[in-house]
Amino acid sequence: MSHRLASGGRLDRTRRLRFTFDGRSYVGHAGDTLASALMANGVRLVGRSFKYHRPRGILTAGPDEPSALVELRAGARREANMPMPVVELFDGLEAQSQNRWPSLAFDILSVNSLLSRFLPAGFYYKTFMWPAAFWEKVYEPLIRRSAGLGWAAKEADPDHYETRHAHCDVLVAGSGAAGLAAARIAAEAGARVILCEQDFELGGGLLLDPALEDWRAATVAALARQSEVTLLPRTTVFGYYDSNVLGAVERVADHLAEPPEHQPRQRYWTIRAREVVLATGAHERLIAFPGNDRPGVVLAGAALSYLRRFAVAPGKRAVVFTNNDEAYDTALALREAGVEIAAIADVRPAAVRADEARRAGIDVRSGSVVTGVGGGRDVERVTVARRNGADGESLAADLLCVSGGHSPAIELASQSRTPLDWSDAIAGFVPGQPVQRQRSAGAARGIFGVAEAASDGATAGRAAVAALGLGKTEAIALPPAVARAGTPSEPFWEVKASGKAFVDLQHDVTTEDIRLAHREGYAHIEHAKRYTTHAMATDQGKTGGLVGAAVLAEARGESIAAVGMPTYRPYASPVSFGVIAGHAVGKNFAPVRRTALHAWHVRHGARFMEAGMWMRPAYYPQPGEEKDAWLSVLREARAVRRAVGICDVSTLGKIDVQGKDAGVFLDRLYTNTFSTLPIGRARYGLMLREDGIVFDDGTTSRLADDHFFMTTTTANAARVLEHMEYHAQTVWPELDVQFCAVTDHWASMSAAGPKARLALAKAVQGLDLANAAFPFMAVGDAQVAGCPVRVFRISFSGELAYEVATPAGFAEPVWEAIMAAGAEHGITPYGVEALGLLRIEKGHVAGAELGGHTTARDLGLERMLKKNGDYVGRVLAGRPGLVAPERPRLVGLRPVDPKARLRAGSHLVAAVGDGQSLGWVTSAMPSVELDCWIGLGMLSGGEAWHDKRLFAAFPLYDEYVEVAVTHPHHVDHENARVRA
Amino acid sequence: MPVSAPEPRSPLVQALKPGRHGAVGARQVTLRAYRRSLVQLQARKGRAADLATAVRQGLGLALPPPGRAETSPTLAAIWIQPSAWLLCAPYLAEGDLARSVRAAVGSAGAVVDQTHGKSVLRLSGPTARAVLETGCRIDLHPRAFAPGQAAATPVGHIDCILRQLDNAPSYELIVASTLAEAFVDWLLHAAAAYGCEVLPPD
Repeated sequence: MSHRLASGGRLDRTRRLRFTFDGRSYVGHAGDTLASALMANGVRLVGRSFKYHRPRGILTAGPDEPSALVELRAGARREANMPMPVVELFDGLEAQSQNRWPSLAFDILSVNSLLSRFLPAGFYYKTFMWPAAFWEKVYEPLIRRSAGLGWAAKEADPDHYETRHAHCDVLVAGSGAAGLAAARIAAEAGARVILCEQDFELGGGLLLDPALEDWRAATVAALARQSEVTLLPRTTVFGYYDSNVLGAVERVADHLAEPPEHQPRQRYWTIRAREVVLATGAHERLIAFPGNDRPGVVLAGAALSYLRRFAVAPGKRAVVFTNNDEAYDTALALREAGVEIAAIADVRPAAVRADEARRAGIDVRSGSVVTGVGGGRDVERVTVARRNGADGESLAADLLCVSGGHSPAIELASQSRTPLDWSDAIAGFVPGQPVQRQRSAGAARGIFGVAEAASDGATAGRAAVAALGLGKTEAIALPPAVARAGTPSEPFWEVKASGKAFVDLQHDVTTEDIRLAHREGYAHIEHAKRYTTHAMATDQGKTGGLVGAAVLAEARGESIAAVGMPTYRPYASPVSFGVIAGHAVGKNFAPVRRTALHAWHVRHGARFMEAGMWMRPAYYPQPGEEKDAWLSVLREARAVRRAVGICDVSTLGKIDVQGKDAGVFLDRLYTNTFSTLPIGRARYGLMLREDGIVFDDGTTSRLADDHFFMTTTTANAARVLEHMEYHAQTVWPELDVQFCAVTDHWASMSAAGPKARLALAKAVQGLDLANAAFPFMAVGDAQVAGCPVRVFRISFSGELAYEVATPAGFAEPVWEAIMAAGAEHGITPYGVEALGLLRIEKGHVAGAELGGHTTARDLGLERMLKKNGDYVGRVLAGRPGLVAPERPRLVGLRPVDPKARLRAGSHLVAAVGDGQSLGWVTSAMPSVELDCWIGLGMLSGGEAWHDKRLFAAFPLYDEYVEVAVTHPHHVDHENARVRA
Repeated sequence: MPVSAPEPRSPLVQALKPGRHGAVGARQVTLRAYRRSLVQLQARKGRAADLATAVRQGLGLALPPPGRAETSPTLAAIWIQPSAWLLCAPYLAEGDLARSVRAAVGSAGAVVDQTHGKSVLRLSGPTARAVLETGCRIDLHPRAFAPGQAAATPVGHIDCILRQLDNAPSYELIVASTLAEAFVDWLLHAAAAYGCEVLPPD
């Protein structure tokens, strides 16, 4: 049975759109929402409620909808909790009702309704407290099964989401009469204007009155002509942050089955506005009475929307329940559309509009209320009685239109820290004095009526233009004011009668729940909110929030102004996770940093690992090694120990330091001295944090008297530069020192192993690499394959090694030339895994030991602390706790059983089962020199344990491995190889 | 026997294949990689005025104030941080720009070659601003940003030195070379809705 009116509405009746709801097919038109199309098809039961699984219908015609929530689309695009009135209909739309099992009409958990006596507010806290062990196994799964609404898709979202940063002179939120007028004034003054409207059509309330269409269309067209105006329909402003930054979501392709190619599904706007006009309109309020949640109960303004905009009659015979004049417009429009008006129940004792309606033949019952609703899953009868409960009469009706008045939509104003003032005139909160550069206009500040709102919007637009200093504004055409006698609305919140009266339909919060919260001590509005979950659902209490506050105020015996509203925070309306993530998902989560040799590594089959943003080769599997990465890692490490290997070390931080005080600057940053370093030499340096803990290490070379080249660890490159900036700018601003990062300018590669000199000597021109001419820690310029290089004789592996740096554009020819020169010696590329193995064998500390908890002494590096002169961290490194003899110190570890595996993270204990940890294993790897696992560890007592035995305990695997404690240098204790 | 240096390789040559990307239509932008020599120039302590004089006399260019760039027929100087500029010139030979700047400024400034450390791109066309807005927080509207202005700001989560060149508008984008490929990935995706013609490198 169609409820579609024969004419009218803003529909394109030539375009029929097919859609399904719970598997049944229906047809709507272009211009419909899912709500209007279902209503036109006579569908009224559209969901089950959250807690009691009560039948629910469509209450509103906008984003304030608490009840009519659906799962939209299917498969990977399925989205839960979509309010039907904001779902724009498209051909092929699929929707499913939520929170029902096995079906919407027959829902097993509606038994909760009968158990409601045992499910009061705060019942989770009361019922599920004991026994504690039940939480994980019983209570939580139970709550999760029965609570919650829809289900999100489990597959990855196939659509793309975009972010966009916008700037404007004036942001106008809302395109009703006030918003359009404000935007037009600002646009005519030449301002850059962004106008956001959550609906797919601009106009707000103007869309409900054909008489206003000319003005609406002309104003929108005038705005569209302005090149500096951006009109954003389908765009919800959800957040108002400091410095006039606002967040908005544009639903670019939500009204399509799939986004067009190269288009995002939604767009996240960050808008920086010089001035803001909030023309967000008002939310119609519900009234709490028994059965106010039954399908067929519709807010009066929403009913008018369905009639006028969507050409749908929401029922056949209606009762209208109101405390204000506006609902009379709905009653008259219903009657005009052929809907019978059973009665108007007006809480006011008398009203001009009541008399007019009576003269028109409508049964108006002044001083009356609705005390109950009859019918199972639908409104069938409505009981109207005097306010004292007398003269109750049950009227046959399938539609109950309710209006409790209008609350300005103050969410954004409040988020901007504007205080809220109580207005007796409209019985609602209105925005007070703005804190940021913003102003509210029209219904958003309690100025109701189209002409009044438009005029107020124009005033707000002029104020914004004046604040911008843009000069004179033009007069614009405004809709004519309609003089009409009226009667003020009467604040009215609740009909006290038997049965559940809801203040929050989505979270099933009743007036009794609010009073219970008050009785149990949760009398503050913020406490009552959390105890009852009132206004905490996805609709954020737009229809009933103030009603709940009013019920609480009565319980407290105070005014609503004194009770106030809970703090408004973003998001004013729900926002999808996808649009928050934007482009930064999957491989785009963070930028990938590639060395100049990346393509070579890819071509040679490297397996990569992430190191911060970097991708570094972990190892290079050769044929036969695919199944066991250890084969590659051990082969590569062996090549370094026995012949020669080459490793891409371009990721190390590199900083160019110049200035006549550069040496002094480095002396103060490092614990050791650099001002005495000869030109053409490198030195290992250690840096502390201000608190005395080891910060970073690396080698720094002197290129000229006033020019140093510093290296840092890969992980700390940016932090070290920051540390230097901080000290140069604020601590020692008198020093003449300039520095900048050159990590990206230089590619560097380490050739290491006993054959390193033989290999390199063949490739390097212009530098004598003989031991005497170029000893350990020497630095010199040369060429490889005609490319400029700088050679550093430094070693991380403990072998004879050279680091060759070249401007990054020459990285491949230099690497290839060294590979070719080393071919006869078996030169082998090695990755980060082998590098880690080699440094553990050598006892060099790295990230696991430099984790921000160790001192120089802990690491056996006390000789690096100079005796004379100050440096960052010197004083605090001397604190008693940092020099305590029992602090864990770096040791080497080897399993007593050569076949046993040592695991990093194991605790060191004196005996199996001993609960007293003496230290822990920081790093572990199989050794290629010792033919057993080896490790480094931090051990209380340190060298006192050398040559003694302990157990490495790994409780996760119930493992105890007996280990011998050694010097950290597992190989070449005398450090002879690097000098060979 | 000395060998002459090969042409240095830019990561953009790998990442930026000439041709059309994304949508087809009149709203497309063009994107091109530029081979440039770059040096970072920093004033020695208390020598900012000397440095400005030396650059004006030796290189024929005024060092620009914060937020701006200055150009001569052969050189551009972009302010990048207090008392520091990035100088940008067509690539001629390895190290040449650094050598000539060093000769011009003498002891008044620290000169660091960044030719290989940074990669230079140019995005051009009526929708270039819209493309950048998807990842750039600063206001590029003609009333707020014009040719000759420059900024150091993240674009698509990657630090970028951005300079407007003309009213096409064209923007020069300078990013760290190790992030150039990631940046191009992002930029081509951001431009896909409008379409992007990648021109052969300059």
